[in-house]
Amino acid sequence: MTRGAKRTAVLLAFVLPALLFYLVCTIAPAFGGFWYSLTDWNGLNREYEWVGVSNYVEALRDDPYFLDSILFTLKYVMFMVVLQNVAALGLAVLVESRRRSKALFRTIFFMPNMLSMIVGGFMWMFIFTKALPFFAERTGFGWLDRSWIGDPTLSFYSILMLSLWGGVGYIMVIYIAGLQGVPAHLKEAAAIDGANAWQIVRHVTLPMISPAMTIGVFLTLSSSFKVFDAVYALTGGGPGRSTQVIAINIMEEAFRFQQRYGYASAKAMILFLIVLLVTLIQLRVMKRREVEA
Amino acid sequence: MRRSGRAAAASRAAILLALSMAAVFTLFPIYMALLNSVKTEGEMLTNVLSWPSRLELLNYADAYEKIDFPQSFKNTIVVTVIGVAGIVLFASLAGYKMSRTPGRLSGALFGLFALSSLIPFHSIMISLVRIAKGLHLQGTTYGLALVYIGLGVALAVVLYHGFVKSIPRELDEAAVIDGCGELRLFSSVIFPLLLPISATVAILNALWMWNDFLLPLLMLTDSDYYTLLIATNMLFGEYNNDWSAILASLVLTMLPVVAAYLLLQKYILSGIAEGAIKG
Repeated sequence: MTRGAKRTAVLLAFVLPALLFYLVCTIAPAFGGFWYSLTDWNGLNREYEWVGVSNYVEALRDDPYFLDSILFTLKYVMFMVVLQNVAALGLAVLVESRRRSKALFRTIFFMPNMLSMIVGGFMWMFIFTKALPFFAERTGFGWLDRSWIGDPTLSFYSILMLSLWGGVGYIMVIYIAGLQGVPAHLKEAAAIDGANAWQIVRHVTLPMISPAMTIGVFLTLSSSFKVFDAVYALTGGGPGRSTQVIAINIMEEAFRFQQRYGYASAKAMILFLIVLLVTLIQLRVMKRREVEA
Repeated sequence: MRRSGRAAAASRAAILLALSMAAVFTLFPIYMALLNSVKTEGEMLTNVLSWPSRLELLNYADAYEKIDFPQSFKNTIVVTVIGVAGIVLFASLAGYKMSRTPGRLSGALFGLFALSSLIPFHSIMISLVRIAKGLHLQGTTYGLALVYIGLGVALAVVLYHGFVKSIPRELDEAAVIDGCGELRLFSSVIFPLLLPISATVAILNALWMWNDFLLPLLMLTDSDYYTLLIATNMLFGEYNNDWSAILASLVLTMLPVVAAYLLLQKYILSGIAEGAIKG
């Protein structure tokens, strides 16, 4: 064997186990999903027919439930991107300003991220259905005793509450890492030049942590478009279909009611394209701003 | 000077107050679950905030039995251990060798692995479940662990690939001159040096597997193979007003994670930050 051939053989031997698992469990299903999306397969029959893009057309034109789930998910994503990043940055700044209690607060705020959103969802369900009515009765704050899960409007806010509770600590850790990377001498130089605290934040700290912001917004965007656990645990998409996010709509299509695998696969591809498009645009826009800063 | 000293003290107090309120808010659901899991149903219904008059451990006995804790705990451990071990082993082998081998093939393979971050789980889950069924991986703990390896290995390869660049090549060369074979070089020289990134990979993946819900929900059909989370979810579906048992089973599910977090938080937090930034 020549040296080059031997080198290639060794490379393949080292890569093969990882590659095999990856091909079988990620790449093949990705192609499989795309193929099924062009068929009318119901998941059971051996035979199915090729139907071209008609699944896509049906999903985007004739499926009001799916379109509603896209709109609902978009609304959720917008709230999450703003609220989660503002809250995470705020917490990060406050936590970083503490000296001795810094580690304690960071530990506490990150704690919910260690738990599954299913566990968190059931704990919040207890708060919404058992604890809040009790507080309302005891304190006389009647407005607390509402149908936080059962009301179509309120359940949106309940899901947001749970998602923020469970997710903000993760983004906070990223902002803390960003803040720690801001060199102290830059802030000192600005202070000597007569900048006040707000001007230092605005013109030194914020531009310096713009890479962390890019990551924070990216992670919130991609996880929010795909949200499933939080909604599943708290409302299951209900009442009715009022909190049905895209992932729940796909699940129901594929596994619950109809078993329309081909059609559900087309919806999954649409979700993939939406996430890809939105995150690519976001990364492009925010990376450009990073350079300017 | 005095005035600004007082203003600074006031602003520090305001910050402490804000942080404390946020901390109470964060811990409140966990506190509620813990507190009410050791009260009788009657006590819980009359006052969710009250201190238990006595520790009602029957809730735990009840939950322990209803979610078949020994079995579902064991299943969760088996999935997590096999999944993490497979990912660490296969990804370190692949990431190391690709990082050390120049050339087009190596670059193309790396590109293929890097692609994984673009593919959302929801877009592949339907056909993944079909493939798993075809390979007889559906329905068992081991099958679930193998699927986790296939889903998680690519990101780990990318992380190892980046880390290996920081290990001097001279080490490889010296070991080869000493007569080390490829595998020996990897197992006794390289792998120990990869420990920091292995810790990060292990933490990220263990957390994901322990807390993941959708994949086991789709993969497991037989209650003998349920993970803790699936068993708890089934309990909730079956007895959705038996809050005593549900809260106790939530505590049982989260206890191992919270304990691990409090012990290893330094590594967990830095691992998370690193994984997020590089991945």
